[in-house]
Amino acid sequence: MIPPIVMDLIKIKKLIISLSIFLAIVLAGLIGPIVYPVNPVVMTGPIEQPPSSKYPLGTDRWGRDVLAQLLHGIRNSLSIGLTAAAISLAIGVTIGVVSGFKGGITENSLMLLTDVVYALPSILLMMLIAAYLEERNPFLVSIVIGVTSWPWVARAVRSQILSLKTREFIDMSRMAGLGDLRIMFEDLLPNMASYIFMAFVLLMSGAMIAEAGLSMIGLGVTRGISLGIILYWAQLLEAVRRALWWWFIPPGVCLVALATSLLLLSTALDEYFSPRLRGE
Amino acid sequence: MTLLEAEHVKAYYSIRNSYVKAVDDVSLSVDRGAILGLAGESGCGKSTLVNTLMMNIRPPLRLIDGTIVLDGIKISEMSRSKLKKDVWGILVSIVPQSALNALMPTKKIVDFVKDIFHYHTDMSRAEIVSMVRKRFEELNLSPEILHLYPHELSGGMKQRVVIAISTLLNPKLLIVDEPTSALDVSTQKQVIKLLVDLHRAKIIESMVFVTHDLAILRQIADKIAIMYAGKIVEVASTDDILYTPLHPYTRGLVNAVMTPESEVRKRGITFIAGEPPNLLNPPSGCRFHPRCPYAKPICKEVEPPIIEVRDDRIVACHLVESFM
Amino acid sequence: MNPFVKFLSRRAGFLVLTFITFIFIIFLLPRAIPGNPLSTLLSQLFQRAQQNPELIKAVYRQLMEEFGIGKPLHVQFFEFISRTFTGDLGTSISAYPRKVADLVFSYLPWTLGLLIPATLTSWIIGNLLGALAAYKRKTIVDNALLPVFLTLSQTPYYWLAMILLFIFAVVFKVFPIGGAYTTGRIPALTLEFALDFLHHYTLPFLSITLSAMGGWAIGMRVMAIYELRADYVSYADSLGLPDSKILRYVFRNSMLPQITGLALNFGSILGGSLITEVVFSYPGTGFLIFTSLSRLDYPMIQGTFVLLISTLLLANFIVDIAYALIDPRIKTGYTGG
Repeated sequence: MIPPIVMDLIKIKKLIISLSIFLAIVLAGLIGPIVYPVNPVVMTGPIEQPPSSKYPLGTDRWGRDVLAQLLHGIRNSLSIGLTAAAISLAIGVTIGVVSGFKGGITENSLMLLTDVVYALPSILLMMLIAAYLEERNPFLVSIVIGVTSWPWVARAVRSQILSLKTREFIDMSRMAGLGDLRIMFEDLLPNMASYIFMAFVLLMSGAMIAEAGLSMIGLGVTRGISLGIILYWAQLLEAVRRALWWWFIPPGVCLVALATSLLLLSTALDEYFSPRLRGE
Repeated sequence: MTLLEAEHVKAYYSIRNSYVKAVDDVSLSVDRGAILGLAGESGCGKSTLVNTLMMNIRPPLRLIDGTIVLDGIKISEMSRSKLKKDVWGILVSIVPQSALNALMPTKKIVDFVKDIFHYHTDMSRAEIVSMVRKRFEELNLSPEILHLYPHELSGGMKQRVVIAISTLLNPKLLIVDEPTSALDVSTQKQVIKLLVDLHRAKIIESMVFVTHDLAILRQIADKIAIMYAGKIVEVASTDDILYTPLHPYTRGLVNAVMTPESEVRKRGITFIAGEPPNLLNPPSGCRFHPRCPYAKPICKEVEPPIIEVRDDRIVACHLVESFM
Repeated sequence: MNPFVKFLSRRAGFLVLTFITFIFIIFLLPRAIPGNPLSTLLSQLFQRAQQNPELIKAVYRQLMEEFGIGKPLHVQFFEFISRTFTGDLGTSISAYPRKVADLVFSYLPWTLGLLIPATLTSWIIGNLLGALAAYKRKTIVDNALLPVFLTLSQTPYYWLAMILLFIFAVVFKVFPIGGAYTTGRIPALTLEFALDFLHHYTLPFLSITLSAMGGWAIGMRVMAIYELRADYVSYADSLGLPDSKILRYVFRNSMLPQITGLALNFGSILGGSLITEVVFSYPGTGFLIFTSLSRLDYPMIQGTFVLLISTLLLANFIVDIAYALIDPRIKTGYTGG
């Protein structure tokens, strides 16, 4: 039996389109390196070859296979996106739930902190922190992105909590003598599952773009490959000015497709879960 | 003499290739100088009906059939832009259900009023302001209010300001859509008084007052029309409706008013068992039959005709004779 | 107290708090991260100083002094804050002995010259197109515009910059491939220089404007759709107010939140435009950060960030005031609802 919610979701065109694009690229990142087992970081052919049957997306300045780089890059960008989004979500949801639920001075100070961090542009904070890290492995980059991107989540979650808090069932749990933590985990969070998932999706697309931005200015991962790192090398070695289009167009297309499909996915879900937006 | 005459009006919402029959073959008239009450539970199509009566129709709502004549003008055949120019605000105005948010939030009330006047008349700005101030004074509203923003007013005050604005150009017909539902009792009284005053002062000629609360209609209405599931089921004088209701649905409504429980009164018809029908797929025959305690087989099969039981009193029920 | 004054003083207090927090972060980073490149740099300099060239010794002393190494942390912090507030951002390593503030100030106008016009242009065009899409909802106009907005909003500035550069400078050769003016020319107030400048300006300007536009348009579209369904719209409509006038109401009311959005998004547009400068070798602060990073010129990186963030916070403050002046609800102390 397919649950009815799945049947409903299948009917949303936007959702199906975005999900297919996203999953196609994810699959390329997961299975691609196995199906196309070319080492992305060693010289495997002549330099700066345009696409051919031997090198489907050509080679770069050092004769490395661009397709292999792309497949590994997708994989790493996705994992950085996932990790960073998880970190942001953890911080944002914790702050949002605690401040919305506790109220009073806890709420005021947490929201002040949130507003202060929100006022400082995350991409600049990321650059600044990354600049002081000598060795930047993917996990460290994820942390840098994660700890700077949470404020909007905290604010959004808090306002959700504030509206949920007034509902009857919370009062009932309170009268039943449940503790704050249990109410948070058993009553509040499950009611926000769809919302939190949407936030995660948006965080992830933001994190992948941020990773590429950091890489472009020279603050990406110091070893290994990602969509941003491919663009960084392409930029540094003048791929654009020398018309080596196969080097810088595919990673950008993947990045835009990933980010756009995630944004579309979240709007489709949003419309599904809050029918007010669907509007007739 | 009738001011408004609507005949066989059908107005449907078209949603995903099907129709919600919110107003289904309704005929209704409003006499000059009279106050007509329109009652029914929420979702029965009252709001849609009154908006249709002034031809305030926009997709997905569509006028499928019928004619509407207002003050001798066949407004059902006028274009929207013509209606806006010559009819709305001048011949007919509405006090919307959501009067609390009806005022432009980022303009002073006087500026909003100027915009409206400016379009409908050729008065200068100074003339407009002095006219409006005068009108506000007549209605016991402080003219200073005009220089405030809507958020600076209380709910009851906003409601009265909206009524004053709607009647600025002395429209012949004023439609009032559940004006009191969001207000407390004393504010309700003020609003009702303001409406009655406007009528007495002949600023407005006639009024259609929409509500689910028969108790309010008892104070002001000359005649009451009862609506159920997109259809008018009974029209009679206020006394007849309240003391000798004929249609089983009207009886349920009246009983609900008579109950001492304020909660039941407030929610109106919940006194009658069952849910109001889904207008996407209304019941066959008489739409009330699934909830009607007197239903006979014929009620399920044949739509009841509108029976004129005597002058000025109509009812749509197969069993009406047994109730008389 | 007058609600407007109250609003302003709260915003000003918040501005100061945010700025101090930022200074604290900038102060803490080189001190809290163990084995950071700054300490590597210091020890390298120290080793090279053994070979005794006076210059390296001087740089080393300067760094020790400016970073206050050896003093207690709180003393370091107060020294740092007071220096920052007096405009002393330290001394550059790669361009020793020039002061960081002077150098950054010479790069900053290029950044602002790109950022401010591009942001405002994208804001105006994005809002207009967003309102149009909302008004033409469920028609071909909206169906065509929305995917474009969505894609643009998710297109990184720098990648769009690369694509525009490739198309217009490499393939069609209509615009130069980088820089702010032809190398060798001396900036002057002549028509010839102005044309040369605009010729170089077009592509960076376009890529920032286009990338930022999508987000504005999406935001405006959502706001306007929401406003179009507001009760005041149907009321004004039922009173016979002309559609054009009602649309102006809607536009006005949906614009207001977008002004706050301007303050909130300045930062991310700045981030994007810094990287775009790198793509175009445009001599702004983004390019400065990029080159300073490769030379490990930490005082320079730090100083650039301090100046950028100060500019940004100030801009946010100005936008806040503008908003308060425009939205009557703030002047009269209305909050929420």
